[in-house]
Parts: sequence; structure tokens; C-alpha cells
Amino acid sequence: MSTDVFDFPPELCSKPLALIGLTGLDTLNNAVHRAIWDAFSSNRRQYRAPVKFKLLDPAHEFPPMKPKRTSYDWYIPKGILKRNWMNKHLNELPAVVVIFYELDWDDPLWNEKSIECASRVQSVRVALEGRSTRIAVILVQQTAPLPTGEDMLAAERATTLCTSCELNAKSLFVLPHGDHLQGYTHRLENAFYDLAQNYYHHEARNVKSHRDHLNKTTHQYLFVRHLFKMGFLNELKQEGHAAHKNYSQAYSSLLDLRMVDTNALEVKTVAGFINYKLCKLMFQLSLPRDAIAQFRKHTEFFKNRIGPKELTFEHHAWMSKQFCVFGDIFDEAIRQGLPALQTQHPGFYYQQAAQHAADRKEACLELCKAVNVYPEPDPLAGMNQLEFYGQRAWRPGKLSAEPPDPSKEKLGIQALQYQEKHRVNHAMVVIGLLGSAITQFKTYRCPRMRRHLVVQMAEEYYSSRDYGKALTLLTHMLWDYRCEKWWCLLTNILTLALSCAYLSANMQDYIVLSLEALGISSQFSPEQKTRIFNNVMKVLKKTVPDPEPDIPEEELKRARDLWTTAVSADPLAVAVDMTNITACVESKARFTQLQYKADQYVEIEVFIRSCCPHPLQFSRLSVTVNSPSYSSEFAVCESNSKDAHASDNPLLLFNCNEVRRYVCQFLPDVQDVGKEIQIGSILLHLGSDQECSAILRFSGTGAESASSDGMCPELQHFRQSPQNVPDFDNVRPLATAEIVPQDSHLQLEISHDLPALLGEWYPMRMVLVNKEYHRITGITAHVNLQTNGDESNIEQASKLYVTAELMPLPVIIYVGDLEQDSRVEKCFYLRAHRVGNRNIAVKVGQGTQRVENSYVQEKPISVPVVKPFDITAKFFSLKFEPIGKAFVKEPFIVMSYVNCTSPCPLIIEDSAVELSQQVSSVDAEIQSQLQSLRLKSGEIGAEAVCVTVGEARDQPVALGFYTLKWKREGSEGLVTSSSVTLPTVRVESIPLYVEMNLPAHGWHFGCILYVLHNCACCQSINKMKHSLLPQLFGCALYIIARLSVLQEYATRWCTLQLRILPESIHKMDYNLYPLLSGLVALPRLRLTVSDRSDIPIRQPQLTELLERSLPSHVFVMPQGKGNPAAVKVAS
Amino acid sequence: MTCSVSLALSNVKSMSKCIVSYILKLLIRLGCISFQNSPKYISCLNPELELQFQYKVHTSLDVVEEKLSSIGKTSSDVRELYLGLLYSTEEHKMYPSMFRKLHTVYTDVVCNPFYIPGDPVVSKSFDTTVKNIMTGNA
Repeated sequence: MSTDVFDFPPELCSKPLALIGLTGLDTLNNAVHRAIWDAFSSNRRQYRAPVKFKLLDPAHEFPPMKPKRTSYDWYIPKGILKRNWMNKHLNELPAVVVIFYELDWDDPLWNEKSIECASRVQSVRVALEGRSTRIAVILVQQTAPLPTGEDMLAAERATTLCTSCELNAKSLFVLPHGDHLQGYTHRLENAFYDLAQNYYHHEARNVKSHRDHLNKTTHQYLFVRHLFKMGFLNELKQEGHAAHKNYSQAYSSLLDLRMVDTNALEVKTVAGFINYKLCKLMFQLSLPRDAIAQFRKHTEFFKNRIGPKELTFEHHAWMSKQFCVFGDIFDEAIRQGLPALQTQHPGFYYQQAAQHAADRKEACLELCKAVNVYPEPDPLAGMNQLEFYGQRAWRPGKLSAEPPDPSKEKLGIQALQYQEKHRVNHAMVVIGLLGSAITQFKTYRCPRMRRHLVVQMAEEYYSSRDYGKALTLLTHMLWDYRCEKWWCLLTNILTLALSCAYLSANMQDYIVLSLEALGISSQFSPEQKTRIFNNVMKVLKKTVPDPEPDIPEEELKRARDLWTTAVSADPLAVAVDMTNITACVESKARFTQLQYKADQYVEIEVFIRSCCPHPLQFSRLSVTVNSPSYSSEFAVCESNSKDAHASDNPLLLFNCNEVRRYVCQFLPDVQDVGKEIQIGSILLHLGSDQECSAILRFSGTGAESASSDGMCPELQHFRQSPQNVPDFDNVRPLATAEIVPQDSHLQLEISHDLPALLGEWYPMRMVLVNKEYHRITGITAHVNLQTNGDESNIEQASKLYVTAELMPLPVIIYVGDLEQDSRVEKCFYLRAHRVGNRNIAVKVGQGTQRVENSYVQEKPISVPVVKPFDITAKFFSLKFEPIGKAFVKEPFIVMSYVNCTSPCPLIIEDSAVELSQQVSSVDAEIQSQLQSLRLKSGEIGAEAVCVTVGEARDQPVALGFYTLKWKREGSEGLVTSSSVTLPTVRVESIPLYVEMNLPAHGWHFGCILYVLHNCACCQSINKMKHSLLPQLFGCALYIIARLSVLQEYATRWCTLQLRILPESIHKMDYNLYPLLSGLVALPRLRLTVSDRSDIPIRQPQLTELLERSLPSHVFVMPQGKGNPAAVKVAS
Repeated sequence: MTCSVSLALSNVKSMSKCIVSYILKLLIRLGCISFQNSPKYISCLNPELELQFQYKVHTSLDVVEEKLSSIGKTSSDVRELYLGLLYSTEEHKMYPSMFRKLHTVYTDVVCNPFYIPGDPVVSKSFDTTVKNIMTGNA
């Protein structure tokens, strides 16, 4: 049977709309009519009037009118609600018939046409004889109408037309079909709606007037019928409140009926209809609480009105339908915007519907057991054409009071039972309802309720022998119950799931479920556990397991066959993911340390606990370890003998509640250095590889056991555990560990003598010694300068060299390979151009191709940089008296001092003075006086250079540079050259220069040649005559020989007047004959300027010049007797 | 906070079965311990119906959870130990009702130093008291 007996008829469920019949439209041939019809019928939106249009052909026949009853006195109703009544008012009997006629006011054939129109109206009126259906006429016109009152012709003709058609003036409409068709139709349909409301109102009053004739004894059915009709008509009129009132009166009248087995079906059917209408209306009127209350009342009332015992399933089907339909209405109301609660939503109703469907199934199983033959003739024939709703086909229209024919009744019931048994798929009904409920419970955040329903659904699938689906649903639900530790419920689900797995011969799930059933958390009895254990062992031995208890006999054979093929299949390795089940075997694994060095053994501790009540023998245990690049498996506790005896490795035999600890060690791969490795899984093989094995895969993180210690692992310490056994509960898993580089045995030493000297090629020796047990290849050293933050341009201030050439930072020194126990020395240099501290980092790496930066040895070095020496310079006159300034062309001495401040002795390799252009050396060649000098800290080396300055300047004259080439004593390294700028000197010009040549000493009674050079050097006074009066003041100490014979102007001895021309030299020779020995004062030369005032030199200047330039004393040596030295006398 | 400890009792004296789920919200106040909705103690006088009761109690936790989460959000007043009607269907009404006596007995159980919080309650005296409450002898 495709439709259920209690399915609601469509006319009940559809929204009642006023029916408007349109006639006179030829939609097939006339495009204008088509457009008009479309404008009315299509695009019915919410805002349009609640009407329904029906196109009537001109010869339409309306349902015939029943003869009018004048008295109800002898009328006995045959049933409550007529099957055709609602449909008649919804679809067949229009409230308004609209006649379309094409006629313009100024039509030339107005008279003829108006007569035809009137005859059409008349024929419709005849067809509707006796009914109060409203009639309206629409004139379809070509021209747009003029405003009301202006078109006199139209007004006049309208009146005449109304008269000829016997029509109310308000029922005549004009529809210009040109523009704005939608606007016109919209207005027209509102007018029709008014007419329709009017009609329904009239009809309802009509029905009400009938009611007054009824009496309570015989016409109880009619009370219900009339009230229902009024309610329905009010609904058509869109009067919700009035309809609600009528329906609830109808409902209470219905409840007043005497209900016996014969009319139970009819009463319940109609009650369902009225209740449906009521609830729906109440939701529409925003009275959800009332709707729910009404529904509660409804179900409460009928819950125990089962009706005939033989048809109990029918009652449950009806109840199920009630709940289901209410759920639908509720759901629809929610979609219209009604808020629902967690505790009040359609899901509950669907759930109840499912519950009743399940009851129905149960009742059917019980009542229809024996029914296997469908009776002949068919007692249910014509069931869908009965005059009244909810009556029996074999006794239609019988009054409830009449006692039914027992034989007919029996056959009818048998037919119904047969249909129920053979044509209804109960399980699918239940599953469908549960599905709806599950969706609702999911929406309203009831996960547990949802799970419970899913389990029920699985039970239904199981009963309909769809074991695969049942198993899938159950296995998905197990997890949640497991999480929340509802072991009793879990055990219940496991039992069912095991049966499913057995019946579908699903070996994988069978083993998984069995392992869980054997665990401590399931509440199976020891006998059951033993049976399950034996079954698992059987499967692993490739034999068919014993059936689960409570399995239907007829399924056993099929299941056995399935198992026979399943266990004989060849590759029998079942992988079991233990992460999500609380099985009889638990495992935890941890690294013993957080970090392992690359050359150290990684140690993994594996703990395994079995709580299987029987000894469990495993064949293999292995641990997989994942690193970022690969994963590897390590066997733990491999038995010594080969596979033949692998199945009885005593180390892997577990008794009940035994905990064992295994240790797995391995060397990490060098590739993993600096990375994290983690325990991927623990694999435990149950059974042998030859026959059948189950590979239990644990995550090792203890996630599977996390549910047992909940949120507070600390509390597990309170749990007692047997002594001498690893405390499994308190093992904290450590699933990841880091592999760190091993300690390098490459020795690195840097030797150097602190401190570094400024500008020095400071040698640093790096010594590498290989202390490894093998050769180290590809060693490179990276040397880098480290800034200490405050010095930004450290790279400019100091530089690193390997050879004499500069290297970019970091300096890479390739060392190459190094044999075991051999050493290599490399030198590099630091040159610092600023004092302060330098930080140097030396990193040595073993630059093999595979691993960069492994084996790194790192050494930071701090080097202070100090000044090696200070260089100062001073100026002296030729008499070694310090001078502040120099005079043009007058030689003076530059004395440079090198003050050694270096803590270690320095060797001055060479020194040089580089004079600037204005300055010239007096000596042709300047010899270094400091060459090969060794200076200790605090010692000073000095050298003098005699120089003259060519001409005077306003600015002080720069003398030049002083360069020192030096090195540290004892270093065989490079010589450092340091230069300093010599200080500047102020140079003044003087027009005259005096020079005296005097031997270093004279002899007693010997002659001294005394030469005076007077040089004029002032070019600006060229051609000027100078008159000078050199005067030698005689003294008793000398016998002064006469002056030069060349002297032309000698006027007096020892006093002479002379003139020096520009750029000329005047030379005067004196022979002195010392009379004393020892340091004898020389005769003083006095120059006096003649009175001529144009000479550019003053007397004080001259005096100062002589003071400065001429020595005042000469040392006279005593002479041995008898051998006087020849004295060279100026000739 | 998914925290509730449920104790379910069933009274089968009358036809209408009544399941009392005892919600110890006090534990929320203790704060540090939260249990994952696992049953503490379930007792049913009619063993045939026990499975159904367990399902009922379990599903009613949905509402408990929802109520507790809304309490956590809106107010800090957790002195109210009754949660009201939890679950209502045609044949069962489920109330978390707070029996002072039950509470006292439960406190005794928790105070037992050998009891690990989170484990199911296994106690003779607790059993006796609960049975008495259910049969109305208390």
C-alpha cells in the first residue's frame, strides 16, 4: 500500500483559498484572453488576495444541488465527514463566477452584443440554480475608460446592461486590456475576494441555521459535521479566529461521541483531522503554547482508546501519524519564525511518532503472525471511494449502534492484518521518523538524545536485517558513550554491534568489538567474556566463530557461510586502530629523555597492560618512530628463534592485569639532528602471520587511556597498583624527543699575545686537533668580528687578514681534512686602527655535504688594542736652544721623540722624515738615527734633523711626516709602518743672515780661522745698499789678526763698515790666536746699522740675530810643548 | 564546563516511573575538578528497565549541560541546586531533585580517602540509603 490509511487527504492539508471561477475566456485561441488569465492565475504571491482562480469552460457543470431538507426529524446520519465535501468547496464550487465578455461602450453592435452578454449571464445563473454563488461580469474593452462621471454614454449603457443581466451595478466591471493589466487584475481580484467572503459568510450562516434543527440524541455526528463545515467555510473566508472557534467546538462535540469498536476508526480519523486544523490554526494565530496543549490533550484522550484489539497496530499507526504530523506543523511554524527550545521542539514529536511506529510494528508482529491468506472476495474493495472518512469498507454508512456482522467483520480484520503484515515496511517507517527526530535533536543541541536515537535506528536496521548499516551506526556511536563512561550503555551497544558483525561476517569489526568487549570497562559476565575470547582465538586460527547469543535461527546458516568464505580469504592481517577504543590491551610509550645527542642511544619505554581475563599471547611488538623526513619501525623484544616459534614468545605472554615494560634502543640518524622525532605508533601483533593476525596499533600517547583518567591525571596517584609492577596508570607519555648535535671532539685553540698594538699585524694562531676516532673531513673555520653595539663601523676600524690581502667578513679559512690525532695550525691577522676592545668569534664546522653546521666548535676572543708608542717633536736652534719660531733660510733642528708605551719591547726597523716642499734638509741625505733600536716600555728614542725653510708664510709651515717602521721584538712577522705628521712651525723673514764657521776647538797659541758670512736674503730690498758696521770687540784674550786683506773699506782694525747687496754674501775672515786654554769666550761681533733709515732691519733685530746665530765660546785645547800644530791661517 | 555528576534513581512503586537525577552542582563551585558527565551511581529497582533508564538519564544530560553553560555565562549564583524539569516525554518525567539526605550520603562517600573522585560510587551504606529513599522508607 503506497499510502497509509491515516495519511491526511490533500484537501485537508492544503491552505483553504476562496475559489473564483472564470468563464468566457478563450485562452487557447485568444491572446488577449490568455494574457488576462495569466495575469490572474500566475505569480500568486503572499501579498495577493487569498483566492484561487479556476478557468471554467462555457458549458461547465457545477456539482448538483442536493434537494433541500426541510426537517431533520427523521434523518439519521451515516457518518461524520463526507469525503467529497472539502474537495467540492475547494476545487469545484466557486464562490464567485466571473463572466468575461468583450464589449466596448461605443461598440457599433452594442444592442446585439449586450443581449448576448445577458444571455450568457443567464445561462450561468441557470447552471448555478439554487446556489448563492455570486456572479460578476467583466467587459473586456479596447479603450481605456474615461474618469467616472464624464462618459455619459458609458454610465447609461452600464445601467441598461445591469438591468438586462439582472446584475447588481457593483458586480459589473470593466477591464481595458491595453496597459497596466497587472494593476487592473490586482484590483479586480480584491473585488472578487470581497464577493467571495460575502458568499462564504452566507454559506456559513446557512449551515448554522441547519444546526438549529438538530437534536442531541440522533444527530451527534451532524453537530460535528456542521461545526467542521462552518470552521472550514470560515477558513475559506480567511477568518482564522472564527474557524478556530468552530473547530474547537467541533472537537469537543466529537469527544462527546460514544466511542465503540465499530466507530473508533471514524472518530479517531475525524479527531485527527480537526486536531490538525486546530493546531495549524493556532500556530498561524501565534498561539504555539495552545497548540501544544491541544495536541497533548488530543493524544492523552486517545492514547488508550485502542479500538478493536485485533487492530491494535492501527491505533499505533494513527498515534504515530498524529505525532508525525504535529512535528511537521511545528517544524513549519518554526520555519515561519517561531522560536523553539531545547526542551520543546519538533524532535520530541518525531521521536514519539517513531516510538508509536515501533509499537505498531510490535503489535503487528504479535497480531498478524497467523495471517497468511488474503480473504476472497476482497472486503476492502472500494475503500478509497467510501462516502465518509474513516469507515470500514465492508460496512459503509452503518450506524455505530448497529451490531456488525461477525463473519464479515472477521474477514475485514483478516484483510487488514494481511495488509499490515505484508505491505508495510515497519522498520523503514520507524527509521524515517527517527531520521527526522535526529535532525531536530541535532539542531537543538541534544547530542546525547541524538545518539540514543541513532542507536534505536541501528536497532531498527538490525531488525530489518540490514546488519551493515546497523554496524556502521553503532560503531560511530560507541565513541561518545565510551568518552562519558556509560559502561552499561556501551555494553548494550557492543552486544548488538557484535551480533551485527557476526551476522555480516565483518572480521575487522568483529575483532575490534571483541577486544573492546574483553576490556575492563565492558560489563559482560565472565562467561560471555570467555566466549568472546574463544571466538577471537578461533578467528585468528582461521576457523568460524561460534554465533552470538539471541541470533535468529534462520540467519545462522547464512552467517556461517559468510564466515567460511571470510576466514578462508588469503591475506588475513587485520589492522586495529586502538586509539579510539577502550580495549583489553592498553599501551603507553615514552622517550626517557626530552633530548638525545646524535651519538647517544634513543631509548623508548613501552608499557603494555592486558586486562583480558584470559592469557593473551602476542607474536610481535614494534615501535614506529617518525621524524620529519621518514618513519622507521623498530622491533622490540624479538624472539631469538625464527617465525616458527614466534607465537610462543614468553616475553609477550600476558596474564590478566599484567603490566610489562619494554625498552627499545636505537641510534638516531644524523639527518635528524636539530629535529624532533616522535613515537608514531606501537604495533602489537596478535595471532601469527601465517594464519591470521590482528595488528593492534596504539598511538603511544596514551590517548586511548586518557578517558580512564579523565581530566585529572593527578588523581591517578591515589589508585592502588600492585607492587613490583610498572605503575601503568601513572606513566606519563612523552611522545616527542629532540635530537641535538653531539659534542664535538675537534679541539680548537687560539693563541696570541695580548694586547694587540694599534696598526699592528696582530697574529692569531688557530690550532685544531682531531681527538675523534676517525678522520674529520672538510673543516672550515669562520672568523668574524662582532660588534658590541656602540661601535657601528667596526669593520672600518679593524680588519682581518689571512695573508697580506684583506678578506671580506666573515673570513673563511679552509682547513680541509684532518686525520685522527693530527693537528693543524692556521694563522690570521688582525689590524686595528683604533684603540679599544675587539671581539672576534671563531667557528669551526665540519663542512661535510650532508650536514651543514654540525660539529660546531665556537670560540669568542676578546682582544684589547693599545697604542705602541707616542711620537712628539720639538724645535731647537742650532745652538740646541728650544725655539718657538724659525727664520727664513736659517737652519733649525727638528727633534722627534718616540716614547714607547707598548708593554712588550719594540724594535724600530727604520725611521724616515719626509719633508714638505717648503722645507729642505740641510744635510744632503737624512740618515735614520733610530735604526735597529730596541725600545722597552717607557724608553724614549729621539732623532734630530736640521732643516731650513725657504720662505716665510703667514700660516705656520707644515714640516712633513715622520714614519716609523717597527715590529714587536721576537716576532718574525710583518713590519708595521706608522706615520705621524710633524708639528708646524711659524717662520718669520729676516733680511740678513749671519753664519760663522769655526773649528770645533782651537789650540792654545794656535790660530783660529774665523769666517763670517753676511748674507742678504731679502729680495724685496734688492739693489739697496746696506751699510753695516761689524765690530769685533777686542779683548785681552786674543790677539786678533788684521782683517781680511780683501776688505776694501777697512777703516779701523776690528771695526769696519760694509755694504751687502741683495742676494749676495759678504765673507769676513778672522784669525784668532788664543792665549788661554779652556772654554774661551769668542770676540763678539757687533753689527750696527748705519744711519740711513731705509734699511729694513732694526738694530734690536740685528742684535737678536747675532745672539741667535753666533756661538759665544770656543774650546781651546792646550798644546803639547815642542810640537806646535800648524795653524792654518787665512791668507 | 562540562561538569555534572549524575546519580540516577528509579522508583517503580507506581506505574508512572520517576527518575530522579541528582545533580551535584556543588562540585562546580569546587572548581578544580570537572568530570565528563560520567555516571556516579545508578540504581533502579526494576532491573528490566534499567537500560532504558540509563538512556533517559544520559539524554537528560543534554539539558543539564545547556543549563549549566547558560548559568556560567549569565550569573554566578550557583546556590540553586535544582535544575528544574529536565526531560519530559509521554511516560517519564525527569527532575533533578535534591535530597538533602542523598547529598549527605554522597558527601560521606567523597570524603572517603580511598575513593578516587571520578570513579563510580561503590558503597554499601550509600546503596542502603538510596534504596530507602526510593522505596519511600527514608
